[in-house]
Amino acid sequence: MSDQRKEWFAKVVESGLKNQIFNPADVLAHATPDVLANHLPPELLSKVLTASLAAGSMTPERVLETVTPELLAAHLPHEVLWSCIAAAAARAGVTNVVVS
Amino acid sequence: MNIKAFFVDALTSALDLNIGTPEDVLRHVTPDVLSVSLPRPLWARLLTACLGSPRVDARLVVDTIGIPNLCEHVPTSIIWACFADMAARALGKEVAAPTRHDKTASGRAILAPPPDINNAPTATGAPVAPVSVGTSAAPQSPDAGTQPLQDLISELEQDEPRTGRPPPLRSPTAQRFRQSNTSVGARGLGASARRPQAPAPTSLPRPTPGRHSNTESEVEPQTSVETADWGQKEIAVDDSQLVDWQTDVGSASAITGDDDFSDLGGRKR
Repeated sequence: MSDQRKEWFAKVVESGLKNQIFNPADVLAHATPDVLANHLPPELLSKVLTASLAAGSMTPERVLETVTPELLAAHLPHEVLWSCIAAAAARAGVTNVVVS
Repeated sequence: MNIKAFFVDALTSALDLNIGTPEDVLRHVTPDVLSVSLPRPLWARLLTACLGSPRVDARLVVDTIGIPNLCEHVPTSIIWACFADMAARALGKEVAAPTRHDKTASGRAILAPPPDINNAPTATGAPVAPVSVGTSAAPQSPDAGTQPLQDLISELEQDEPRTGRPPPLRSPTAQRFRQSNTSVGARGLGASARRPQAPAPTSLPRPTPGRHSNTESEVEPQTSVETADWGQKEIAVDDSQLVDWQTDVGSASAITGDDDFSDLGGRKR
């Protein structure tokens, strides 16, 4: 994965969250626990668990506070991020085509 | 939800990071799309920039309009298609051909671009070029576009024997008459009192074809001096063309040459 592509997907995901194109739950609907567990490095998984334990719960918002868009783009397959973006666009009525 | 702001971020960062190019944008945001989507003030700005730039390309268009303006005015489905293509390429997928946007959101038809000019070479290897012969309204045969010019020339050459005469060339004696403003008639020769015409010699210098090659449009009666028997033929002369020598005493000298007025050169009336 090129750095530019990573950076771009990070910005897109960040903008999508900021502009409420999709929310953290939508992200985790595609970046499932299985995906996260298989792609995030151990130290990052540890941080997620630590933050959740400290807060007393693990919510999608809290997960994304730790696993930021930059980290998502750095570790997750970009197809996963794109499927999230495309599904959100389809929900918004921008396109009827859901890119898998 | 602010989908336009999202698109602005996505496209701006894509261009900044070389994920996409302005050409990718214009592949979807075509001039036809812009023509019905972009407000006139933005069109004015775009035209001004294009006129003032030595080179007009996709980058100039995108930079002049600006991604925020594009996302604001162009239908989101088109921006999405552009965005999706960039993403597909970033993901290593094959980019589909851009979708034809035949109608705008308001239902207005978008004209397709004109077809490309067919400059493909013909079977003979020569590019097809329109050849106009004669009037522009002349009907052309279906294969007129591919007919070589040489065929046309040979066709014209075949037409010449049909008329039975060579191409019109001016004989050396063709310029017999002066212009009306040269005041020849004011020199004592009335319009009805023509000088007697001496018989022309049978061996006149032959016309040089090259000299008169540019005067082919001047059609003259057939005056062939090359035939041997023309001098023996009797020429009908009207009486009014004859000169009464007894009454024309003043003009003592009869000119027998071929309109040689050199002896009158210094005279004034």
